[in-house]
Amino acid sequence: MTATLHRPRDLGTALDLLAGTADPMVYGGGTAVQILLKQGVLFASDLVDIAGVPGLDDLVATPGGLRAGTMVTLRRMETDPLVHDRAPLLAHVYGRVANPRVRNTASVGGNIAHGDYRLDPPTALLVLDARVELSSAAGARHVPIREFFTGFQETAVRRGEMVTAIDVPTQPLGGAAFTKLSSLAANDWPAASAAVLVTSSGSGGREIRIGLGALAPTPVHVAVPMPADASEDDAADAALAAAEPLIDPLPDVRGGVAHKRRLGRVAVADATRAAWADTPRELRDTPREEASDDRRLTLRRLRRRQ
Amino acid sequence: MTDIDLQVNGERRAVRVGDDDLLLDVLRELGHTSVREGCGVGACGACTVLADGYSVSSCLARAVRYDGVAITTADGLPENDDVVEEFVAARAMQCGYCIPGFVLMGHELLAENPDATAAEIDAHLEGNICRCGTYLEIRTALQNVAARRRHDTVKEPA
Repeated sequence: MTATLHRPRDLGTALDLLAGTADPMVYGGGTAVQILLKQGVLFASDLVDIAGVPGLDDLVATPGGLRAGTMVTLRRMETDPLVHDRAPLLAHVYGRVANPRVRNTASVGGNIAHGDYRLDPPTALLVLDARVELSSAAGARHVPIREFFTGFQETAVRRGEMVTAIDVPTQPLGGAAFTKLSSLAANDWPAASAAVLVTSSGSGGREIRIGLGALAPTPVHVAVPMPADASEDDAADAALAAAEPLIDPLPDVRGGVAHKRRLGRVAVADATRAAWADTPRELRDTPREEASDDRRLTLRRLRRRQ
Repeated sequence: MTDIDLQVNGERRAVRVGDDDLLLDVLRELGHTSVREGCGVGACGACTVLADGYSVSSCLARAVRYDGVAITTADGLPENDDVVEEFVAARAMQCGYCIPGFVLMGHELLAENPDATAAEIDAHLEGNICRCGTYLEIRTALQNVAARRRHDTVKEPA
């Protein structure tokens, strides 16, 4: 049985299709959906292709950050100067997903709606405290990304709803790093990943925020306070102590529980050390300034060097 | 069935496609057999085409979405294409099955980053698999394309 393909030209029609068909599935970038269809493990009566809906691929600055429409490609998140200015960690992490062809096609909204526990972008979205916009024929609501992943392959998206945008606050000043460890091919799903952001806790201290991928049935997040004058070793130890209770790996072809737990510890320690070392001694509570055009170019070159 | 206009290598091709027809199959049936199926799940790069200059795995792309989009396939590159010439000069292929994909990924990379380093070349090609294992020669070929374009630019300033 093949699913019926719909190609609506406006959001209202798309949402009506999600509400009014038997077992609909949003077709965004299509990379994951197309693979699952080929593998015969995705069952949908209707596919709602949202590529023709205007406005869903807008990527714009907002007063406190940026807003990425659901159809913005992962590659655009990786390369767009706006994302580099406002959330460089996020740009870096999107650039680590799969390969450039997948990133050229896969969409920001579809990526999280897929709900896979091994996804890279949620690790950064979690530490940045992003917010997901969900729309249905009844209207829109907003869900913090930290409440979006509700169970193994399950998300907060309800029947009749779709992700329409992700709002990301400007990355606070401080250090950030992402570590991804794969046990098969380098661009395979990771066996462990960790995004770490070190920022001011507001009272002169530091906060270490940790987002984990592939290490539990959902992407997970934890934050731990640290004195500003703590050593890198202390920071890594505190991050490990905080992350450890969350690490609950699923054994598969990429490794058993003990192997993945070990890789998870390495990812957390490495990312924390890098983020801590990257944090200036004097960290004020002022937000990141918008970069000049010159600086944007430099950031772009920096990214290329990885 | 839907009637679409594919713009393949600068030529307009009117085709009738089914909703779930893949761009890969449609292009091959039009004679563009440099577009090949490998893994079928977007992980090997043999089916790479450029769509408005961006690389796409045509094995995961529904043709109906590419109405009016400019598609480039490796067989549509000019005879004296510099990337192809440097692949030949570096002997960067053995069986050749995967090479059209590598050539197009190279074009995409050097268009957006003409000064790509070896590490950047490796990162951009991470999703392309060569069963014969000519990766080192492929990297050399692309480094030579970058050097040649820099040289040509210096010689003939715009």
